[in-house]
Amino acid sequence: MAEQPRVPPEMFRFATTERADLHTAVLHAFGEAAERLETVLTADEVRDGLRTAEWAVAPVGEQELAGALRQLAGWGLLDVVFNHAGSFATAEEYERKNLQYTLTRRGEAALAGARHAMAVLNSAGALQTGVLDAIAERLGELERLLSDPDPRRDRRIFAALLELECHLDALRDNTGRFNGELQRLLRVEAAELSTYHEVKGATVAYLQEFAGTLEQRGDTVAAALRAVAGHGVDVLHARALNGAELPEAPGTDGATAWLAARAARWEALRLWFAPDDGEVARVRLLHDLARRAIVSLLEVLDRITDSRRRSSSAAADFRTLARWFAGAPSEDDAHRLWDAAFGLGSARHAHLGHADAELIPAGVPWSEAEPVEVSALLRTRGRNERMGRTGRVRDVDRLRAERRARAEKERAELEAAWSALATTGAMRLSQMGELDHDTFGRLLDLLGRALAERPDSTGFRRAVTSDGRVEIVLRAPDDGPNDGAVAVLRTSEGWFRGPDYLIDVRSIEAPHDREAGEGLHRWVVGA
Amino acid sequence: MSSLANQLVRAEKEEIARAIRTLLRRPLVSQHDDPAAFDLIRKRRQPLIQWFDYFCGWRLVVEPRQGYARLIKVRTEPSATRPARRRRATRAPFDRRRYTLLCLCAAELLTSPVTTIGMLARRVVHAAAVESEVPAFDPVRSEERAAFVDALTLLEQHGAIIAMDGATDAYLDDEEAKVLYRVDTTRVIRLLAAPVPPSRIASGSWDALTTEARYGGDEPTETQRNLWARHSLIRRLLDEPVVYGDELTPDQWAYAASLPGRRLIRRAAEEAGFVLEERAEGFLLVDTDATATDTRFPDDGSHAKVAALLMLDLLVSVGRPVTAARLDAEATQLLRRFPQWARAYQSDEGGPRLAADALAVLTMFGLARRTGDRVAALPAAARYRVDPAVQEDS
Repeated sequence: MAEQPRVPPEMFRFATTERADLHTAVLHAFGEAAERLETVLTADEVRDGLRTAEWAVAPVGEQELAGALRQLAGWGLLDVVFNHAGSFATAEEYERKNLQYTLTRRGEAALAGARHAMAVLNSAGALQTGVLDAIAERLGELERLLSDPDPRRDRRIFAALLELECHLDALRDNTGRFNGELQRLLRVEAAELSTYHEVKGATVAYLQEFAGTLEQRGDTVAAALRAVAGHGVDVLHARALNGAELPEAPGTDGATAWLAARAARWEALRLWFAPDDGEVARVRLLHDLARRAIVSLLEVLDRITDSRRRSSSAAADFRTLARWFAGAPSEDDAHRLWDAAFGLGSARHAHLGHADAELIPAGVPWSEAEPVEVSALLRTRGRNERMGRTGRVRDVDRLRAERRARAEKERAELEAAWSALATTGAMRLSQMGELDHDTFGRLLDLLGRALAERPDSTGFRRAVTSDGRVEIVLRAPDDGPNDGAVAVLRTSEGWFRGPDYLIDVRSIEAPHDREAGEGLHRWVVGA
Repeated sequence: MSSLANQLVRAEKEEIARAIRTLLRRPLVSQHDDPAAFDLIRKRRQPLIQWFDYFCGWRLVVEPRQGYARLIKVRTEPSATRPARRRRATRAPFDRRRYTLLCLCAAELLTSPVTTIGMLARRVVHAAAVESEVPAFDPVRSEERAAFVDALTLLEQHGAIIAMDGATDAYLDDEEAKVLYRVDTTRVIRLLAAPVPPSRIASGSWDALTTEARYGGDEPTETQRNLWARHSLIRRLLDEPVVYGDELTPDQWAYAASLPGRRLIRRAAEEAGFVLEERAEGFLLVDTDATATDTRFPDDGSHAKVAALLMLDLLVSVGRPVTAARLDAEATQLLRRFPQWARAYQSDEGGPRLAADALAVLTMFGLARRTGDRVAALPAAARYRVDPAVQEDS
């Protein structure tokens, strides 16, 4: 691979210093002089050139200009020539006019570079179908010329080849530039929507027209290219070289370099229109690009139109709100505004309810409805022990513990009652004699349960407490219910009189402890 | 129906109820900070959208791909008790400055999909300079930076911006901090819930913000009036701790008292998993697992709340309005009695401060009201009264 070409180090320094304006203007003055075929200028002539130039440069002093010229000469852009032929009356005049300047090769290149750069900056890329037509025409002409072996045609071949190359360059440059602009257009964010609309509309129409005929034109060019290649590319280049009439320069082999450049251009042409098998012609890529660009331009436009419309009004909304917040009379007003505009606030509700809310009829005043259960810790214990500490009161645990304790106590009482009631076998109710009030309550309950059952075939009624732990078997007195035997039970609260049933109270094997506890609890609550 | 089908129906009902309450608590649920809740809402979005539309006329937008669900809560009676809060330990409410910066940031964020904290700050500086009614923003001052960071963290919390590199907090100490954000512009826009765009309202008439055209404005038809009564009543019920009859308009009260009205309210409460309490003076919804509430009462979450419960006992037992001074004295006495407790208030004027904070809690929950110099318990306060019978028992 060839080495990457290097730009001489100080070639473009003139365009980057503080005096870039002056330096550029001076170079341009030389350029314009060259067009008048004047290659050597004195300082005075340079100043005249600056004055007549189209662009405005502030008038420069002699010293200043001399400094600029020296500087440019220092960078190798100008050569200093001593004019010994002139006649000078004074020493001062000699010093001023003796020195003449001329552009070096490097200076010419720098000027050309600067001009080209400005041209590229200022030009708009374009896709010209005309260029494609011109390429096809030149190729057709070459084909015709090559068919004629007369060496007098060589000059025309040379000219046609150069034109062809120019058209190719134009195509490449413009396409590259156009694509660049297209991509910028797709990325555009800051542009005014209306401008964007126009640009886009024009671009889409343009692309559609271009893409519409591109394929066919590309094919024409490819065909012409193959026809020319049929005569032999070497032949073409050899004859063009002949027609070029290159000047003989001693020590350099201009012809070889020239032919190499032509071969490279030809290769580029081929790549564009008729590459080897397996490669995609660039003109085809261009076609795809144009189509894709049409689609994405339309998409982008829709998206931008949409988001602009929405977000520009939303941005206005937010700015309006910012003004309102800044001008809110109080913090509370600001909070209200926040609530109204953003609606991000949470709902708020009581979390303590009744265990069974349906027991309280709708429509009673709050003061008459039962209050909800608030953890006592909050009012009492919480105040002394828990306050100031972090962490939550474990209401639920506490409640459970309380319930469990209560259930255990009740269970113990029950146990006592059962053991008091338990009979060692069937016995008469009247034999119970004296009972304490609680035990009597249990007994009554048992009797009630038993009496609610229907007697079985042998006349026994059986019942079990709801926890299933105590069974009672009851039977009317042997000598019939009508014998009038009355049992009298005495409690601390008074007397109980009733038929003297035969009863047998038995403890069934204790089920699982916990279940029993809860069952018991329920039973007690139910009772 | 098979028992499996029954189970499924029940699971669905429970899920919908939970999703409704989650959305009431947080009107913007994001996948990034609560994936489980978001999934639930996404799964049940159809019935949820219908539910909110039917009962309260609120729009629910679920964006399964963008990863958020937004309940566009139109607040019929904007309240000052639900401020935006700083995402710091103090959870202090936003001030006017922070709200202003939040809005300016949101406006600037709409212009580009990616930005850095420094670029955003510069744009806000410009934006503030352009608006004559907004004080200039000066990020050199650290308190301004703190306000700016609070506004950004709120936007981050709602997923409107995502820090892809760096942390917003770094800006507190260093104005040169580098934080890269990706902006979700549609979500920024979705933060606004007001049915009328603020930019179309003449300044100063904020009430117009929440006026919804669907209810017919000044000349509503019969249908529109009914719809308004239903939606506004259920909205209040779903959002407020207590709704008293005397705060309702005649239309709303008539609707609440009508048979279809009561049936609808009951259905709404049941489907959302609330327990409805209907009393002579008004209604309230009980949310037993506290999903749909930002704060709880009674609770020991703060000293003010504990004090509030005790103040409430005083207000209820006295049975008539008491002077604010009496409450101050009560609070002072409390502080004196428990010197180890509530240290933040154990200083000069701590009593009145505690009393004021406690009263704020009670007001927030619709349990007490201050009129001039006097404070009275409201009817629902009786829910928390100390029942003599209960006391004896324990």
